[in-house]
Amino acid sequence: MQVVPLEYYLLLSGILFSIGSIGVLTRRNMIIIFMSIEMMLNSVNLTLVAFSAFLGNPSGQIFVFFVMTVAAAEAAVGLAILLALFRSKKTIYVDEVNMLKW
Amino acid sequence: MNPEQLKILGSSFLGDLLKSVNLFYPETALVVTFLLAILVDLFTRNRPSCKMSGYVSLIGFFVTAIFLCNSPQGMSFAGTYAVDAFSIFFKWIVLITSFVIIVFSFFSKELFGEERQMGEYYTLIVGMTFGMFLLSGATNLILIYLAIETMSMSSYILAGYTKEIKRASEASLKYVIYGATSSGIMIYGISLLFGLTGSLNLSGINAYLAGNNVNHITLLISGIMIIAGIGYKISAVPFHFWTPDVYEGAPVTITAYLSVASKAAGFAILIRLLNSAFTIHAAGDTINTAWSVMKNVDWTMIIAVLSVLSMTLGNFVAVWQTNVKRLLAYSSIAHAGYILMGVAVMNYTGVSAIMIYLAIYMFMNLGAFFVVMIIANHIDSEDLEDYQGIGYRSPWLGVAMTIFMVSLTGLPPTAGFIGKLYVFTAVLNSGMYWLAVIGVLNSVVSLYYYVKVFRNMFLRGAEKANQPIELSLTVKVILIALIIPNIALGIWFGGLVNWANASAAMILK
Amino acid sequence: MNLVDIVFYFFAVIIVASAAVVVLSKNIMYSAFSLLFTFFGVAGIYVLLNADFIAVTQLMIYIGGILVLIIFGVMLTTKITGLEMKTGITGKAQYAIGGLSTLVLGGTLIYVFNSTSWFKSPSVPTTSTVEAIGASLLTNYLLPFEAASVLLLLAMIGAALIARRK
Repeated sequence: MQVVPLEYYLLLSGILFSIGSIGVLTRRNMIIIFMSIEMMLNSVNLTLVAFSAFLGNPSGQIFVFFVMTVAAAEAAVGLAILLALFRSKKTIYVDEVNMLKW
Repeated sequence: MNPEQLKILGSSFLGDLLKSVNLFYPETALVVTFLLAILVDLFTRNRPSCKMSGYVSLIGFFVTAIFLCNSPQGMSFAGTYAVDAFSIFFKWIVLITSFVIIVFSFFSKELFGEERQMGEYYTLIVGMTFGMFLLSGATNLILIYLAIETMSMSSYILAGYTKEIKRASEASLKYVIYGATSSGIMIYGISLLFGLTGSLNLSGINAYLAGNNVNHITLLISGIMIIAGIGYKISAVPFHFWTPDVYEGAPVTITAYLSVASKAAGFAILIRLLNSAFTIHAAGDTINTAWSVMKNVDWTMIIAVLSVLSMTLGNFVAVWQTNVKRLLAYSSIAHAGYILMGVAVMNYTGVSAIMIYLAIYMFMNLGAFFVVMIIANHIDSEDLEDYQGIGYRSPWLGVAMTIFMVSLTGLPPTAGFIGKLYVFTAVLNSGMYWLAVIGVLNSVVSLYYYVKVFRNMFLRGAEKANQPIELSLTVKVILIALIIPNIALGIWFGGLVNWANASAAMILK
Repeated sequence: MNLVDIVFYFFAVIIVASAAVVVLSKNIMYSAFSLLFTFFGVAGIYVLLNADFIAVTQLMIYIGGILVLIIFGVMLTTKITGLEMKTGITGKAQYAIGGLSTLVLGGTLIYVFNSTSWFKSPSVPTTSTVEAIGASLLTNYLLPFEAASVLLLLAMIGAALIARRK
């Protein structure tokens, strides 16, 4: 009953992953970088669910479940660190955070 | 699935679960310690700088060690977790490091200088230990991912623990951003591998790869993506960007912890992945048989290139460093390169050489960072320039640091020499002479910057001898306890070598 | 072109367009709201793939949790009155490197997707995945399930510690 072939889903996820990586590599606002990372994780989830559906193997969906758990934890920790930095330095821009060399 | 089927599934799983619980005592002890440390912290909250949960963690580690001594071996939890000699060896490295780090923390002025809540610090270290225990035994990609994330999540927070110091929260932020990106790349690789083989268990992947024809370029790309995620953890070039900044910004104890324990756990999983998923094992394999690689993907070359890059960049950049923590960061990148040589060999001799190296590296690196911490406690600086005359101000620190530096360089009669000897022998036995030559040349370069530390301590600033640094008795005892293995393992190394050889074999083949 | 195709393209266009807005928009609030549509589109694709449980979880965790968290982050780190919300890109060199490496990455992925014969099993008609997921979580994947609870507790303790003033 699957009429859309697997490759289409994979291509969609590849495009989403690439867009996310553009964001991580070129933006300077750290919140946007976090959003881009979430998009990358979403594209991974998309691949896993697609494979899982076409393989008839629920393991992929379980992996997605765990990736979501970790993503939520990572977002919480990342934003907490961002807040701590903002308090001491009043900036969230990557290029203004330069006490240590990149 | 109807209720009847569920019932059958449940009862068939129950036996496996009961068996698994027996194999899982050390980890259970760690989780209990983790929870106890939180509870104890709640009751001692109004007394800042209270070391109570620290002591609880130490006792917990001790109990874990007892369980680890008597641990049976086998596969557990429906084939997701292997308890074998290989993982137990790495668990010992992680456990000893965690124990030593908590002891170090008691002496850190950086951590105890302010009225800081320290309960969470110990809790996070115990949690991170749990993550690394899981990582050294994980045989399922889901568990590998979760274990890596447990380890990373705690290290992100620990790196920024002194959050009012700007460079610590900066370091922590960079760590999170790079870490999250690299783990994203890693799970993309995992998802491709899942699509290729239809399995998330390493044994399932191995069986499918052995029996079926898969596109080997896809296999290569997914493998590289996974290795990128692990390479980040072991700070191999080109995934090392975060290392100098995080090592410089984090509290010294955490820097030492990251440079030893999380690196060891990363190597454990890298070796297990290559061995269990990507290579074929015949029944008659001996310790010297090279693993035959699946689908002609040349993992040896990939790992060897990473190794050469890490050694060369680490050593050459370390030469220019003026901050001792940064210098040790680049030195740890270089050491990741030496250890990767052992991985590139891809046989059990290489694995056992890596284990010997990591065990020795643990003692020398912890020692070096302990001296850096004690010096920073007294002179509030980690600058190489400020180290002038330390050898005269405190001969204890000077001599100890020199021994650790000699050991890190790999000169006899210290333990570092034995570590290097076994890795180089493994490389030469496998016929990769060019790799061994590059390794030796790199060791020569490393001599230069290790000597630079020695020169600043002893050959300069003799006039500062009238400002002696007084060390307490406990600090001296710890220094001696760290010096002893560095010397003793250089002379009586038979026991360690036998243990490593016996532990190199993995259950899952 | 049948209905499933149309639905797929509909969600795919939503995902790609909103993801592009997230990355390219100059206003961080636009980015945050655009991310809502990306998450929503991905949930739609999950439904198309018969992954009902994951689709609902996607809505609850990503939109209900992570997105709200991100918007809080935006609000807490920008002076609401000052409206200092510059989000421009970094230097040209980084832009070029970023673009180039993304091209390489995207190209490789597309090549891989088109050239690989993926593992395929005879299509199993699935009704609901909730049962299978639930059973697996408590049998084959019991250990990851428990490890995830430790991870969440760690993250909670850590986030509270770091975000707290002093």
